Amino acid sequence: MESGTVKRFDALVVGGGIAGLQSALDLADQGFRVAIVEKDASIGGKMIRLSKVFPTLDCASCITTPKMAAAAHHANITLFTYCDLKSLDRNGDEFSAKVVQRPRYVDADKCIGCRQCEYNCPVLVADAEQGGFCATKAIAIPFSNAIPQLAILDTDHCMLCGKCASVCPTGAIDYFQQPQPFVIEAGTAILTTGFDLSPMTDKPQYGRGTIPNAIDALQMERLLAPHGPYNRVLRPSDGMEPDNIAYIQCAGSRDKSMGVSYCSRVCCMYAIKQAMLLSGALPLADITIYYMDIRAFGKGYEQFYQNAKAMGINFVKAKVAYIEAGDNGNVVLHYEDQLGGGITTAEHDLTVLSMGMLPSWNPAGICPVSIGSDHFINTIRPKIAPTLTDVEGVFTAGAGAGPKDIVDTITEAGSAATEAANYLTARSRKTAAA
Amino acid sequence: MHSDTDPKAALKALRHQRRESILRATAAVKTQRKTLTAIKERLAMGAATVPEIAEHTGMPTDRVLWFLATMKKYGQIVEDGKDGGYYRYTMASTHA
Repeated sequence: MESGTVKRFDALVVGGGIAGLQSALDLADQGFRVAIVEKDASIGGKMIRLSKVFPTLDCASCITTPKMAAAAHHANITLFTYCDLKSLDRNGDEFSAKVVQRPRYVDADKCIGCRQCEYNCPVLVADAEQGGFCATKAIAIPFSNAIPQLAILDTDHCMLCGKCASVCPTGAIDYFQQPQPFVIEAGTAILTTGFDLSPMTDKPQYGRGTIPNAIDALQMERLLAPHGPYNRVLRPSDGMEPDNIAYIQCAGSRDKSMGVSYCSRVCCMYAIKQAMLLSGALPLADITIYYMDIRAFGKGYEQFYQNAKAMGINFVKAKVAYIEAGDNGNVVLHYEDQLGGGITTAEHDLTVLSMGMLPSWNPAGICPVSIGSDHFINTIRPKIAPTLTDVEGVFTAGAGAGPKDIVDTITEAGSAATEAANYLTARSRKTAAA
Repeated sequence: MHSDTDPKAALKALRHQRRESILRATAAVKTQRKTLTAIKERLAMGAATVPEIAEHTGMPTDRVLWFLATMKKYGQIVEDGKDGGYYRYTMASTHA
């Protein structure tokens, strides 16, 4: 790979989710120059895709967007979105990262985010940002509050009809853009690479994602979001307003058959949060959570759980063995009631699978940090310094280092920024003394 | 854009290079246009629910909802009341 241009910063943050943004802001506010490298077209990570957060039920977007904007406008922070990190290696006292800017086929300096290309594009493409429940266009801004507001052309679905180029008021469309390699040199690096949901396709007992109206929790986040695909909660199979909704807990965690033996720590709370939001959106709906244990470990979480029960959300202590498609688009759950009800079935017109957290990035072949048996980034002092990796000068925070909620992620991100700042300061002193 | 080549020739070469994905996209657009036309024809007769549109067009209800959600996103249709558990949809211009 040609190295292209070299850009110099004090710190490199890999991942522009809430952990990366917090680390970058904390470092930048201390005067360090920070580069954020993000694989997606927008910063904000999973958090910007959520409806609300537990246990406060604050609007996720209202919390995340100001941090995204603060990072985007900070004099000491430079964003590199839609970029792939190819390698991160120590080079003497510095770290050297080889990065490739993937082509947007839109000139980032010319695009003004007016969406004329998107409105006029004739090709409909399933919108992954909306859980696949509606379409976007072959050229589009990723989502309404994406930062940066730059269109991206999807070459797999583009007809090359030229419509977007003809309507673009600034001549920003560039069908010939190529990947642009460049190098970032920095004194330290923080890995905030986040998580993905364990895929529904990995669980044959739950239909491998083929049962209509059995959806995952992030899809439900989109249904609950005010700017979601339907602007309300409807069944994806036929548009009916559901009035009998089930949550299946530990659908993607604590399950060796899926290779995920650990607890993902957030599923109980996000299911309770979504159940409470559904109670507000659909006041007449019956909502049942099938659970093995409720793990309400954080500040205010137990009270949140008790509030959900008081609101009439039904908690059934049971492990759902398997599900199947029923009549009229319903989902039939087969489970053993652990409070004496024996083996039984229940029918719901919408079912949410509480999938677990998997690391979204494997450093193998890219960066010499090691991973644990759970495949998350290994931290060498998990008790007293949980952001230290086994590479000196490389720190980690957030769900890339293990399943955790937003509160713990932000706390850890601040800690990683402090460790990185201390590392940079100590290095400067050492250099000055030499 | 490649400034050292004729833009038309460069675009032609790019079309040749991407011909398979272009053929797929073109076929998809033709199907999508037919579907959208069928949905609009039904909505021209009056507001309708997803099952009513599906019955008229012969399409599965989930596909009808997918297109309706997209049309709503781009301002072509709006909700127009409810029929039992289903919302009715109508063309935005009719509604206005």
